[in-house]
Amino acid sequence: MVRGRSTELREDAGSSPVVTTDLPQRRQLVVGSRSIPVIFPNRRDPRLKLAAVITALQVLGQAALGFRVSIAQILVCLGTCALVDAAVMLRREGVLVWPASALLTGNSVAFILRTSGTEHGDWWSLNGIQYFILACLLSLLSKYLIRPGGKHIFNPSNIGLVWVLLIVGPTKVFPQYLWWGPNGAPVIAALAVILVGAVWILRSVGMVRMALSFMVPFALLLGIFAASGRSFFAIWHDGPVEGAEYWFNIVTSPELLIFVFFMMSDPQTAPKERRGRMIYGAATAVVAAGLIYFQPTEFGIKVAILASLTAVCGVVPFIEKLVRPSDDRAEDAPVPSPGRAGPASRRLIDSARHPAVVAAAVIAVAAPVDAAALSNEKQIVLIERGLTGEADPQ
Amino acid sequence: MEEIVTRDSPDRGDARRILPILGVLAVVTGAVLGGNPFGIREWVFGSAVPPPRPPAVGREAAAGVDDTTTVLRSQPWWQTVARLRGTGQMVTQAFTIGGDALQWRVRTSCTDGDIAVEVSTEAEPLVAAPCPSTPDGYSSETGSLSLRVAAKGPWRLHIEQQIDVPLEEPPLPAMTASDTREIAAGSLYRVERPTFGRVRLYRLAGGNYALRLSDFYVSPNVDLELRFSSLQAPRSTQAFEGASSVFVAPVDITAGSLNFKIPPGVVPTEYRSLVIWCPPLNLAYAGARLEFRA
Repeated sequence: MVRGRSTELREDAGSSPVVTTDLPQRRQLVVGSRSIPVIFPNRRDPRLKLAAVITALQVLGQAALGFRVSIAQILVCLGTCALVDAAVMLRREGVLVWPASALLTGNSVAFILRTSGTEHGDWWSLNGIQYFILACLLSLLSKYLIRPGGKHIFNPSNIGLVWVLLIVGPTKVFPQYLWWGPNGAPVIAALAVILVGAVWILRSVGMVRMALSFMVPFALLLGIFAASGRSFFAIWHDGPVEGAEYWFNIVTSPELLIFVFFMMSDPQTAPKERRGRMIYGAATAVVAAGLIYFQPTEFGIKVAILASLTAVCGVVPFIEKLVRPSDDRAEDAPVPSPGRAGPASRRLIDSARHPAVVAAAVIAVAAPVDAAALSNEKQIVLIERGLTGEADPQ
Repeated sequence: MEEIVTRDSPDRGDARRILPILGVLAVVTGAVLGGNPFGIREWVFGSAVPPPRPPAVGREAAAGVDDTTTVLRSQPWWQTVARLRGTGQMVTQAFTIGGDALQWRVRTSCTDGDIAVEVSTEAEPLVAAPCPSTPDGYSSETGSLSLRVAAKGPWRLHIEQQIDVPLEEPPLPAMTASDTREIAAGSLYRVERPTFGRVRLYRLAGGNYALRLSDFYVSPNVDLELRFSSLQAPRSTQAFEGASSVFVAPVDITAGSLNFKIPPGVVPTEYRSLVIWCPPLNLAYAGARLEFRA
C-alpha cells in the first residue's frame, strides 16, 4: 500500500539516487511492519525527456520503420533493468526509487540490439531474449560493481551493448542498421524527433558543445575516409557502400545521431566541466573514426562507434583531472617523500590494487582492441553481403 | 544444524576478498572472448559460414571436383552419380555417394511385374512397387554402395546425390565455337535478394541462343527461374510485374558458373534485361541490364 505525497529525488555525482534530506518522506509503502519510502522522479528530470524521445522513436520503429525488435523484447529489457535497479536501491538505501535511469538503460538496449531471426511485426516474439537480458544485466552490473573512485564511469547501456555484440558475435546478435529506410515520411519523422529531442535535452544537460565537438571532427575524418576510397558492406545495400554514400550513411545515420545526442550526453559518465566535455566529444570522434577506418562491414562500424565511447569513458577521470584549474590540482597533490616513488606513481600503484580500477582498465582497453579485431573477420563480410544463404543471421 | 554466519565471520571475509577477484577474472575472460582468438566465438555460438568445400564441375559426379574451395552454398541440387540397367534379379555395380551429399535417390523404370530395390545397409527396401510405375527411393547412406534389384523384366536405375556446393560448369563447346557471337552482357544486381555475377548472351552457329552466368550467386530458394524482361533495369518486383517478360530456364543451382540454352521461339534481342524470378514468393530476386553489342 502506498500512501502520502511524493518527495524529490536528485542524483549525486555517481548517479546513485539520493533522497534529499531536507524534504519530508511523505510517500511510503507499508509491507507488514516495515515502512519503505517510495520516491518518484521530478517532472523536470531530463531522464523523463529522454525516455519520451526514445519511446517516440520505438513507436515509430514499430509502426513505420520496420524495426526488427518485438514489443516483448522491449518490455523484457525494461522489466529486467527496472527490477534489478529497484532491488539494488532497496537493499542499499532502503528506499523504493522509480528506476528512471535503469528504464533508460533497458530502452537503449532494446533500441539498438537485434537478435538474429527476429522479424518486424512479430510483436510478441521472445527470440534471442537471453541476449537482451544479458546486455541489460551487464549494463547494470557495470553500473553497480565497476565504480573506481566510488562512481560508475561507463555508460551502462553502451557497455552492455558492446560486450554482448563482441562476445556473442554476429551469428546471434547485431546492432540496428545505420540505414533506416528510404528518405520517406517515416525517416523524416524519426529525424525530426531526434533533432527536436536533441535540442530539448542537450540544452538542459549542457551538452550542445560536446555534441558539436564530436560531430565536426567525425564528419571531417569520415569525409577524408570516403574520399580516400574506404567502403563497407551492409546487408541492406547492393555491393559496397562507398564514396559520398559512405559518408552520408554513417555521418547522417539516425543511429549515430542517437548515439551522440542521447548516449554520449549522459551527464553521469561525461566530464562535468565544459572544456572536459569538448575534449571528451572530440576524443570519442577520433577514436571512433580510427576504429571505423579499418572496418569493412556495417557490423564492425557500429561496434566501433559504440566501443569508442567505452574507451573514452574509461579516461574521463583523466580528462577531468586535465581540465581542472591548476590551483585545485596543487591543493590535492601530497608532498613527495624523498627516496620513494613519487605521488603520481604511488597513486597509480595503489589504484591498480583496486579490482574496480583493474576491471575498468581492462574494459576500456579491450573494447576498442576487440572492435578493431572485427575488421579481420571474414564471416562478417559474408553475412553483410548476404552470402550465407538461409543461415544469414541478419 | 543451522550455520550462523555473523558479520565478522572469516567465511564472509573470504567471500569479500574472492568476489572482486572473480569479477575481474570475468571481465578479463569477456575481454579475451570479445577478441575471438582462434575463432573461439564461432566454437561457442556457431558460425553462419559453412566449412570450405570444392565446387562441383559438372552435373555428373564423374566430372570430378574443382581444386579450389568455397564457402558459398547453392540451393541443394541433384547431381547424377550413376545410370544402371539390367534384367531380372541382380546386384548392381558399386557407386559412390559423396560424404558431403545431403541425401541420394534412385529413380526406377521398369516394364513387367514388380520391382524392389534394396541397399545393403538398410532393412527397408528403397523401392517396392509394381511396374511400370516409377517411384523414387531415398537414402542418406554415403560411401561406396551397391543395390540389390529384384524385378521380372528389364529395368533402369538413375542414381542422383543431392549436394549444395556451387557448380562451376565450363562454357558449352558451342559458346566458344568460331562462328558463335557474344551479343550481350551485363552484371547482376540486387532487386529483392543478395546476388552477384556476370551474364553473357550468345548467338550460336545454328541461330539458337545460349546464356551463361559466371561467378554467380543468388540467395538460395526453390523453383527460381530466369526470365527476360522488356524493362531496361527493373528495380522492384512491382516494376518487373508491370512489364512483359518471358520464361528462359529454371535456376536449380544458385551459385557457380552455369550455362542455359534459350528455348526455341524466345528471341532475346526483343528484351532488355534478365531477371531471376521466384514464383513461390512472387519476388524479383535479381536483375541484370543487358548491354547489346551493336
